[in-house]
Amino acid sequence: MSQETKFKCLKCGHEYVEKYAPDDDIERACPKCHSNSVRPEKPKKADVAEKK
Amino acid sequence: MAYSEVEEVDGYVGNFKVKVRKKARYVREEDCNSCAECAEVCPVVVPDEFQMGLSSRKAVYLPFPQAVPASYIIDMEACLGTNPIACGKCEEACEKVCIDYDMKDEIFELEVGVVVVATGMDVYDPTELDEYCYTRYDNVITSMEFERLICAGGATEGHFVRPSDRDVPQRIAFIQCVGSRNNAGDKGNRYCSNICCMNTVKDTLLLRDHYPDCECTVFYVDIRAFGKGFEDLYMRSREEGVKYIRGLPGEIRQDPETKNLFLTAENTLTGEVREYEFDAVVLSVGVIPRRDSALVKKLLSLSTTGDGFYMEAHPKLKPVDTPTRGVYICGCSESPKDVKDSVTQASAAAARAMTILNAGHVTVEAITAAIDPALCTGCGLCAKVCPFNAVEVDKEKKTAWVVSAMCMGCGNCGATCNQGAVTMGHFTDDQYYAQIDALLDEDAADKVFTFACNWCSYAGADNAGISRIQYPASPRLVRTMCSARVTEDFVLYAFVKGAPVVLVSGCHFADCHYIDANRQTVKRVYRLWDKLEKLGIRPERLQLEWISAAEGQKFARVMRGLEEMRQQVTAEEVEHTKKVLAEEWEKKLAREAKRKKKAEADESRDEVQVS
Repeated sequence: MSQETKFKCLKCGHEYVEKYAPDDDIERACPKCHSNSVRPEKPKKADVAEKK
Repeated sequence: MAYSEVEEVDGYVGNFKVKVRKKARYVREEDCNSCAECAEVCPVVVPDEFQMGLSSRKAVYLPFPQAVPASYIIDMEACLGTNPIACGKCEEACEKVCIDYDMKDEIFELEVGVVVVATGMDVYDPTELDEYCYTRYDNVITSMEFERLICAGGATEGHFVRPSDRDVPQRIAFIQCVGSRNNAGDKGNRYCSNICCMNTVKDTLLLRDHYPDCECTVFYVDIRAFGKGFEDLYMRSREEGVKYIRGLPGEIRQDPETKNLFLTAENTLTGEVREYEFDAVVLSVGVIPRRDSALVKKLLSLSTTGDGFYMEAHPKLKPVDTPTRGVYICGCSESPKDVKDSVTQASAAAARAMTILNAGHVTVEAITAAIDPALCTGCGLCAKVCPFNAVEVDKEKKTAWVVSAMCMGCGNCGATCNQGAVTMGHFTDDQYYAQIDALLDEDAADKVFTFACNWCSYAGADNAGISRIQYPASPRLVRTMCSARVTEDFVLYAFVKGAPVVLVSGCHFADCHYIDANRQTVKRVYRLWDKLEKLGIRPERLQLEWISAAEGQKFARVMRGLEEMRQQVTAEEVEHTKKVLAEEWEKKLAREAKRKKKAEADESRDEVQVS
């Protein structure tokens, strides 16, 4: 299921939030510099525990 | 085989096994002579789908006048019931004794060499576009409904009447691009449906022919009349008195008494905003991929464009081939097109199919994967990632093998295998390591190491070159068939050899020549970023870009950006990376050597047992 996930562009450093699921079929690009090197931030353990 | 559905497709080019369900008609088609006596006595009346619900049919019916075979069908969902028989009037009326309530679906298994997909398209449903009030006002109809009304074999035998009062309308508006070319909102589609402009031009001429006094007005964005003779037809329509207003109406309202429709629109050529009154409005609806296209996509391992239409193997050189060898596409399953283009493409698909059938053999490029049974553990990871289902796994014997005729050589399996059991023909791991060695042996710190996929990124680099676009001299390209061939080890090895920056580049998602193999590239790069970060290496030094063959400008822009990035990587950083990864690399080599030794020992033991 898609979740709001923080992405970081490894080209320009821009950070933004977008819906993301590991199996989604979306070509991602940084909204600022359009680079495809955008990395989803993994949920921290504390966040996972909070959701449970 | 009419009234049938393909349920399963197995096998590969030259050896497809297709399972087809022939649905029960409950009328013996070989005996039925379409006398219609059964329909005359049938008491059940339901809307006729072929007439877009504008007239009715019976539960036993002929789907449409030109149906082949010309045999009636019983719609069992509408029929009063046969168990026990609650009606049976059709059976009593049929002199030729064609009715068979006990008829069952039949399953046929066919062996075919090639498959041609000509599944057509569906029509856009404008219900979601609130501004056009399609379901609210009776006199707002779609172009398909108009077609059935103006057709001599249609619901009104060719008399165009308003649905609200069955009067012949005198003022008719056509609204173009309904559900097409919508870039702004989330409703409709972005693409042009290709056929609607000329369909409307034809419809206006038909109307003027049937009703010379009627007034036709077309609201349009652009009239796209680019085919042979199309511009002449468009000009003829204008000469016949059809008004063309550039601009789409923002809203439609109805007079509750007369049921006339009022359209507010801006003529974007004059800037005039005004309200127009019409007796009927025809929405020129676009086309969409068939609603069951995902099923066919799965059956035949096809890929689709972002619009949902099936994607060809190459837009110029293989326009009717698909990524799956032996499967061809044509007509609106590939993209919206008119009859002429569909026939042309169908002829091309048939000719392509015949080249295989007549040859009697298939030539496969020698770049397919091969699995070493001695190293394979039968884990099945390779089979999971293969976009063409070309890998078969025997879990009991703990081994897997590749069906060469199905393999297209993307190398995804090779990059996924943890055991080093997969060898890609002409793109072996050793060859890649040798290329990395050769490119980074001297002055590695001055180079941007790039993996570029054969079809898009490498061609994008070519495009930049032949277009004489300037970009730095630092990039060093290694060609892979697909970006999914790039293993994590290739990237790490490039860093071990001192690459300051590594780029993995491939086709855009919609352009992937191996269906969806490049989705694995993304997953692999994500894992690599995590790994690099864990080892204290800046993940930014590994970049990912999708560059198409036409994007020479993008290639150059990316390279300029990477050159800037390269200059920021310090010598100490590179040395640290080399040191950290060299330790990892040694461990990996030791693991591989141990695994190979074990495999050799197992093999020799098996040989002893056999002897």
